[in-house]
Amino acid sequence: MAVLDANASEPVSKGVQSQARTAWTLTAPALALMFLILLVPICVAGVLSFTNYSLGNAGFDWVGTENYERLLTRATYAKMFVATFTYVVTVVPISLGLGLGAAMLVHSLGRVGDIYKTIYFLPVMATLLAMAIAWEFMLHPTIGMVNRTLEMACDSWFEVIPFFANGCADRFPLWLGDKDYAIWVVCFIGIWQGFGFNMVLYLAGLTSVHRELYHAAEMDGARSAWERFRLVTWPALGPTTVFVVTISCIRAFQAFDTIEAFWPQGGGPNKSAYVMMFAIFEKGIQQNLIGIGSAITMLFLIFVMVLTLIQRWLVERKVHY
Amino acid sequence: MSRGNHMADLSITSITKRFADTPVLKGVTLEVPDGEFVSLVGPSGCGKSTLLRIIAGLEAPTSGCVAIGGEDVTDIRAADRNLSMVFQSYALYPHLTVAENIAVPLRMREMSGLQRLPFLGRVMPGTRDQRLHISQAVHQAAEMLEIAMLLDRKPGQLSGGQRQRVALGRALVREPAAFLLDEPLSNLDAKLRVQTRAEIAELHRRLGATFIYVTHDQVEAMTMSDRIAVMMDGEILQCAAPEIVYEDPNDIRVAEFIGSPKINILPVERVGAELQLFGRSLDWPVPNEGPQFMQIGVRPEALRLTQTEHMLTGTVAHFENLGSEVFAQIALDEHAARVTLRATPAERQMLGLGTQVGLLFDSAAALVFGADGKRLRKVEASAHLISEVA
Amino acid sequence: MTRDWWKHLVLILGAIIVLAPFYMMVSYSFKSPGEIDRGEGGFFGRQELMVDERCVALRDPNRDEIAAIAPQYPGLSDNDIRAVIIAEAEAACSMRPVAFNYSKAFTEAPLLRYLANGVTVTVSIFLIQIAVALPAAYALAKLKFWGREAVFGLVLFCLLIPVHAIALPLYIMLAKLGLTNTYAALVVPWTISVFGIFLMRQFFMTVPDDLIDAARMDGMSEFAIVWRVMLPTAIPALLAFAIFSIVAHWNDYFWPRIVVTGNRDLFTPPLGLREFKGDGDGSFFGPMMATATVIVTPLIVAFLIAQRRFIEGITLSGMK
Repeated sequence: MAVLDANASEPVSKGVQSQARTAWTLTAPALALMFLILLVPICVAGVLSFTNYSLGNAGFDWVGTENYERLLTRATYAKMFVATFTYVVTVVPISLGLGLGAAMLVHSLGRVGDIYKTIYFLPVMATLLAMAIAWEFMLHPTIGMVNRTLEMACDSWFEVIPFFANGCADRFPLWLGDKDYAIWVVCFIGIWQGFGFNMVLYLAGLTSVHRELYHAAEMDGARSAWERFRLVTWPALGPTTVFVVTISCIRAFQAFDTIEAFWPQGGGPNKSAYVMMFAIFEKGIQQNLIGIGSAITMLFLIFVMVLTLIQRWLVERKVHY
Repeated sequence: MSRGNHMADLSITSITKRFADTPVLKGVTLEVPDGEFVSLVGPSGCGKSTLLRIIAGLEAPTSGCVAIGGEDVTDIRAADRNLSMVFQSYALYPHLTVAENIAVPLRMREMSGLQRLPFLGRVMPGTRDQRLHISQAVHQAAEMLEIAMLLDRKPGQLSGGQRQRVALGRALVREPAAFLLDEPLSNLDAKLRVQTRAEIAELHRRLGATFIYVTHDQVEAMTMSDRIAVMMDGEILQCAAPEIVYEDPNDIRVAEFIGSPKINILPVERVGAELQLFGRSLDWPVPNEGPQFMQIGVRPEALRLTQTEHMLTGTVAHFENLGSEVFAQIALDEHAARVTLRATPAERQMLGLGTQVGLLFDSAAALVFGADGKRLRKVEASAHLISEVA
Repeated sequence: MTRDWWKHLVLILGAIIVLAPFYMMVSYSFKSPGEIDRGEGGFFGRQELMVDERCVALRDPNRDEIAAIAPQYPGLSDNDIRAVIIAEAEAACSMRPVAFNYSKAFTEAPLLRYLANGVTVTVSIFLIQIAVALPAAYALAKLKFWGREAVFGLVLFCLLIPVHAIALPLYIMLAKLGLTNTYAALVVPWTISVFGIFLMRQFFMTVPDDLIDAARMDGMSEFAIVWRVMLPTAIPALLAFAIFSIVAHWNDYFWPRIVVTGNRDLFTPPLGLREFKGDGDGSFFGPMMATATVIVTPLIVAFLIAQRRFIEGITLSGMK
């Protein structure tokens, strides 16, 4: 008996061993790349954020936390934070609301709604740079479609609204040239491009809501659409909402194309659209100030990671029933 | 919590329903007096759930009307009909605790929209008292259903049976005019089903409220109801107390649906003034007129083994020993179909597989149906009369 | 049904705003500079013959050329001769605006080359992503080895890192290796798709173990199992991932902008468009919109044909 057992155990452990070896071989390329392309750069950025390195220099000096201090004190970087957070705080809720609203409207229309689904998803597929340039032209102060359409409202009852009154009398805003409007235009384009994505996610979420819950709500006395939304729809979309918010936030933080296309230098009139990704590009690549560029990179990474971790925590604890 | 008023008499008149071109309900009329427990029973697709939803107001009938307490509510939406429904899937709000689930109907009814807002609502005047009152009602309902210790859990953390009680609690907390239950036991395992059956019947006795109960399981209907409405193909074939539906069915389909094991149906022929079963006379005089081909139904417990004067012969083809009783399927010599016989454990010896047996039944126990399925009581009457005299 | 009219009204208003820039982009790609300036001509423009100013300017003769041609036009002053030559040039250089715009789009800059670059880069990225992700996903899903949890934990951690976020250090590393301005620089940072590994692992976990055991009994190596057993079962998920990857990288502007600075030959389509904008003056708006239309069209057309797959692919991340 004992002899038999001893022989039986050998091939099993050999099999497991060789499986392990194969597994490592199969995962080796992925591991190597994860390391090289994702993890090492973080360390590189981390290290360089404490230096004043520039590409092409032979060496560099350690400057301690000077880069970070600059980020937290200098006016330019204050504008960077303001622009970035303005963009995120504006684009995320609005594109979420529009996405949810569109999803609910489209969902309630059944097959007929599919055409709207297609249309609203087009901006998500189209190269943002190309569409941004199209928007730029539409927003041209004199020959652009937007101002031309606004001008058509002159000499009509629209002039009751101060915006139109001023615009007809004087002229309509310069949009991209105006420091009060520039960031909002960028936000608008961001919302325009992104809400279709959210809509599609919410559509998927809506189809998974149990129809009988609406019947139960009706029997319980939920008479209006708002009541049904509060009692059944919104809670059921909880996980979707958390996901949409996180993805939208991360994408909002990465806004770049529009800003660089409109204002290749400077990040908008009076730096009103000087978002973090653009700052990294300008400081790190264009101006070759790797130190400060790395510092901004590290801050950026921290924001993004914290956001995603919050999402994971929320999904684990609160939103799964 | 009992009531005895007539405010909750339910009246369903000539309800029809079509989905596209398919008729689902073909003219259903039903009167349910206050406090009665009525089951709507039938096979899948007979329209019972649709009827229930029409009563609830979740669907509109194609024609006909529904009245509650004498008032026509056909055009009134479900939320305003003061009915409660227990859904087959329970339909509990997954994000709310058990207590909050049960409280929803009361909150909807007694608190205004502003009072229900998450934070602001607490500050509004009168909210505290209302919330107290609602909380008491919830506790009372939970105690009655023995789920008081589960009040802080969410539906996802409960078992099927517990969820069902929460659904019941949500239904009864409002003291509605009637309770509508849509196959509430079908998602429970067999043992739980038996236990819950008794509890629902008990609940009905306690509350004294009208219950309309939809099920495809005739055992549930038989054991719990004051009356059973047997539905098939969109019509109510018979609506009467369980014993009447069992012993005195109007239609052969009712006889076949109610009772387990199924009733035995045998073809009989009227030859002149007597009935013949497989060519043998049954000694039942019948009027010398009327249909030639009829059917009789004999319940398994009405068949008896006999050594001598048998009406039927056959061999034992299958055998089910349930301990307290024995069901044997006999393959008849003269007929393709089998009959089922209920026998006592003592008779088990005689029912070995392949044994040839003789069967006998009382004419009084036979139900006569025409070829179209309708019950022919006149034919029976004459048969019974003669046999009594004899 | 008719209760829904207000829904349609709202949705149509939204559709107008959504489609406005597309409309404008395509429309202006058909129009002459004059029409663009004045904002007229309907959707297709009037398509009147227009004169390509630059083409004419190229043919503007200088003194020597006038002198050389003079014998053909006896009796005319130099100015008159010049006028004649210009008139001929204008005739030769006139064309329909749409032809002008689209031909300029392809000739002013090597748009075809840029498109080819786009295809090369996008396809390479996807293929390498699959080559890296599938084996790893299989190992994580189906093989037992002692470091499995740790590796998967690493994958989860790396999901937190958007590649755009670490663009700067990646650029530095590539610069140090002398790899900027190469196809490698455009492709390499994207070869590791942690999302792809995660997705494929989830999918592979649903494949029955029996299938794999049967393959092993048939003598297949684990490597062969990945490509000959797992890959075919994963086609739907792969398709969705392909769409997700291709759309993201065809449209990517940020990374190519960083990493391709000197070498025009390497421009991806968005970079080509940007270059157009950079050195264009107002009159080149038509060709610029034509370029934009050409860049945007492939994906839009593919989307319209296979909508459901596209939506599945793009929103795949939702199934985390």
